[in-house]
Amino acid sequence: MGWLHGIRLRLRGFLRRRQLERDLEDELQFHLEMRALRNREAGLSAEEAMDAARRRFGNPVWWKESIRDMWSLGLLESVLQDLRYASRSLLKTPGFAAAAILVLALGIGSATGIFSLLNAVILRGLPFPSPERLVLLWGNVQRQKIERRGNSYPDYLDWKAQSTSFEGMAAYSDDSFNLTSVAEPERLAGEWVSAGYFDLLGVAPIAGRAIAPGDDVSGNSNTVVLIGEGLWRRRFGSDPAILGKHLQMNGRLFTVIGILPAGFRGLSDGAEVWAPFVASASAADLAERGSREFPAVAKLKRGVPVRQAQAELDAISKRLEQAYPETNAKRGVEVAQLTDELVGELRTPLYVLLGAVGFVLLIACANVANLLLARSEARRQEIAIRMALGAGRGRIFRQLVTESMLLSLIGSALGLLLAVWSVQLLSKASPITLPTFVKPSTDWTVAAFAAGVSILVGVFVGLMPAYQAGRQGLYEALKESGARSGDGLARRRFRGALVIAEVALALTLLVGAGLLMRSFQRLSAVHPGFDPNDVLTLTAALPRSAPPPQSPAVATADPSAVVTGRQLLERLRALPAVVSASVASDIPLGAGGSAIFYSAEGQSITDAQTRPRAYVHRITPEFFATVGAQMLSGRTFSETEMEGRANVVVVTDNLTKRFWQGQDPIGKRIKAGDSASKNPWWTIIGVVREMKYRGLPENPTADPDVFLPFSDRQREVAILIRSSQDPSGLAAAARAAAREVAPSITIYEIATMSERVGRAIERARFAGWMMTIFAGLALTLASVGLYGVMAYTVRRQTREIGVRIALGASAGDVVGMVIRKGMALVSVGMVVGLAASLALTRLLHTLLFEVSAVDPLTYLGVVTALGAVALIACYAPARRAARIDPVTSLRYE
Amino acid sequence: MKEKNRQDNNQEELLRGTLDMLILKTLARGALHGYNITERIEQGSDGVLLVEEGALYQALHRLELRGLLDSEWGVSENNRRAKFYRLTAQGRAHLKRTARRWERVSEAVSRIMRIA
Repeated sequence: MGWLHGIRLRLRGFLRRRQLERDLEDELQFHLEMRALRNREAGLSAEEAMDAARRRFGNPVWWKESIRDMWSLGLLESVLQDLRYASRSLLKTPGFAAAAILVLALGIGSATGIFSLLNAVILRGLPFPSPERLVLLWGNVQRQKIERRGNSYPDYLDWKAQSTSFEGMAAYSDDSFNLTSVAEPERLAGEWVSAGYFDLLGVAPIAGRAIAPGDDVSGNSNTVVLIGEGLWRRRFGSDPAILGKHLQMNGRLFTVIGILPAGFRGLSDGAEVWAPFVASASAADLAERGSREFPAVAKLKRGVPVRQAQAELDAISKRLEQAYPETNAKRGVEVAQLTDELVGELRTPLYVLLGAVGFVLLIACANVANLLLARSEARRQEIAIRMALGAGRGRIFRQLVTESMLLSLIGSALGLLLAVWSVQLLSKASPITLPTFVKPSTDWTVAAFAAGVSILVGVFVGLMPAYQAGRQGLYEALKESGARSGDGLARRRFRGALVIAEVALALTLLVGAGLLMRSFQRLSAVHPGFDPNDVLTLTAALPRSAPPPQSPAVATADPSAVVTGRQLLERLRALPAVVSASVASDIPLGAGGSAIFYSAEGQSITDAQTRPRAYVHRITPEFFATVGAQMLSGRTFSETEMEGRANVVVVTDNLTKRFWQGQDPIGKRIKAGDSASKNPWWTIIGVVREMKYRGLPENPTADPDVFLPFSDRQREVAILIRSSQDPSGLAAAARAAAREVAPSITIYEIATMSERVGRAIERARFAGWMMTIFAGLALTLASVGLYGVMAYTVRRQTREIGVRIALGASAGDVVGMVIRKGMALVSVGMVVGLAASLALTRLLHTLLFEVSAVDPLTYLGVVTALGAVALIACYAPARRAARIDPVTSLRYE
Repeated sequence: MKEKNRQDNNQEELLRGTLDMLILKTLARGALHGYNITERIEQGSDGVLLVEEGALYQALHRLELRGLLDSEWGVSENNRRAKFYRLTAQGRAHLKRTARRWERVSEAVSRIMRIA
């Protein structure tokens, strides 16, 4: 305890250093006077008495010093002293300090901001226990390339029974659940999951129980359900009696058996209800080995690598392929790390951005190092005097590094604020939907990162100037006046190197930004094959059927409210400003539609890998007019074909090109499945130009799309409305109209077609803009740095330039000389930067679309732009040089 | 300075310990200022022990930092501002311990001196 007390006293003494000093002085003075008083009482004169007292005491200065030492805080005190000195000296040059702090804040702030995103997405990891052992199992099929599909339930059961690599395995598929047993129907996202699912993800119900193996047996008539805490609170007022009650969803009854904790949203990251997997389809459908519906989640046993699990499942797939050649030919399994699935695609852009801010930070450092160097030169005399007064080289060095450290600490504190603020702004502005468990925030890791960076920056930035200052000859420094002293070779080289580095870094960033922006441009120029302007799209869930009468806890919906998609369409078509409207099974770019294998009449049978496959969409006649597709030949459906469910089809031209190149495709026939199957032939009545129906910039597979008459049996329908006005204004009216048709219709996924197109390319746009912001920052900082160095060089060479002018150099000569000097550095920087770009931009290639990583136009543009900015940065100092008056320059100090 | 201190460590330790004990003992009866303490020690030892004054103040500050003494500014007998030192509870305990040890050692030493 004694030492703690001592530190407290010392700290207090430190904070009131002057008081302590005075007290010590007074105390000893009092002693001497008391002694002198006694001496006088013994008969000495006043003067003799004091002298004797002093002699008796010994050397008071020495004793005072030793007492002061006792009170000092040791190293801490000298650091504090350095800090005090540093802040005083920075305050004397507030312009310099502000500039340096601002530049560092920008650099450290952007680095910290991007790091906090990286921290949230990658470092903090998934919100499940041992996430590194969680994998998804995707059934796949080998066609021209391996395509990822889902699994069939029988396959899944076989994997589960025959594999030994896993601690557990569970099937899951996401689905929407239309909750209708409440006053305000709502569409909920949910999952069908098999019994082990919650254990695998390490979550337990906060009330009730999880899905037990007994619930997960097909044929179980009592379907259970778990609900999320959020839903429980929102829709049921956290009613503890919810357990055992019934909910009506999708026209079925579910019994609530448990509540899952807030924050758990399932692997689909939005689920609020969970029901047993076997209840997701009929027993017959589940037994269909050929279906490809869902992924499975599994947890590797401790110590089992992904590769081993993959090998085991490959062997099992082989066996299944032999046992069931009909359904399992060319079928395999892909074992994919869950982390990769959830955040994998964010990794590259984040690392690229982190690299970019790293460059910005380096440029910022170079600028500040340069400022500090200039400053330490201006302070040569001051430093020399301090050295002459006995300050060691180490002490001076420490002093200067303390100064840069102080700048960097203040800069990073400001930068941290900047980061917090900009990350908030960014996550609002970002079109990229992050998984909900990713919450960028400033935690200790981020704070430690900022602190670490600021210490590194402080040392890095201060090292060279401090080293230079310590090395200078004392004698020369004192002899020369600060301003007149020549510019040392080492310093000139250092400054040149800084400019070269800044230019090279800025150029690399500009190239990256240029490539991403060009790539975005290319993406926006992709024609989707339809006209996305002025179209509103939405999805409606129609009531299925009246709920069973014996449901106790259900507010019964109106049983007469069974409407069809086309009835709804009729009502919507009557809205003002509607040009045309259509109901469809799915919306372009809406991730709907299902694939079928088909045969073309009169065409030879092909092998499994090239077997014709098409995506089926069901539509009403006005569909093509509404989306603005281009009808190449033939016609759309007639109303009678809609009523009679005629066997007619409209196809995209890539289908007809494959089989009937150069022939008239109208009247040709295709059918689902083999040509020998009992399916009816569909007659082609129209051909439309290929659309990017399933993805932008390109459909995920090259298969054609085929369109069949809309079926009124469909309960979840897509609606497309072309309007003569801004289509987003239609949303409210459409919703109200739907409610009029039937109050239990739920409307969701309202978006204009342009928004859907925008969403498909927004990642590219966002990445491009982020990169452009950082590249712009880099360019600004680098040109400021260049300007600073050139201005400084001109000031240093005032006399030399003056002499040249006196000897007859014209203003143009001088301007040319300065610009040549600056641009020489810039061009070296550019060469280095180009080399670095060629090496680094290859890392970007996964982010680029139809733009080569060595796109010559981008490089040319960047070099030109950077050259122009550099020229401007050199021109101002050059003009100043040309205006130097030779007479005053010779007297210049 | 520090180098030299380290060399004479043992000897100084002993002297310092003795001086500390004398100071604590002197203050056991109440608060005093530095000059008072010198006088008390000198008078109490009938002028045998002559306190080195700088060392006394060094010791006072050291003991204060160790928490054995507490200080307070007050008014001296001749109406001057003076710094008064007082024993803390910790200081009193420390004094008891060192006094006991000192008695044992000095008894032992005098016993040997008698025998020899």
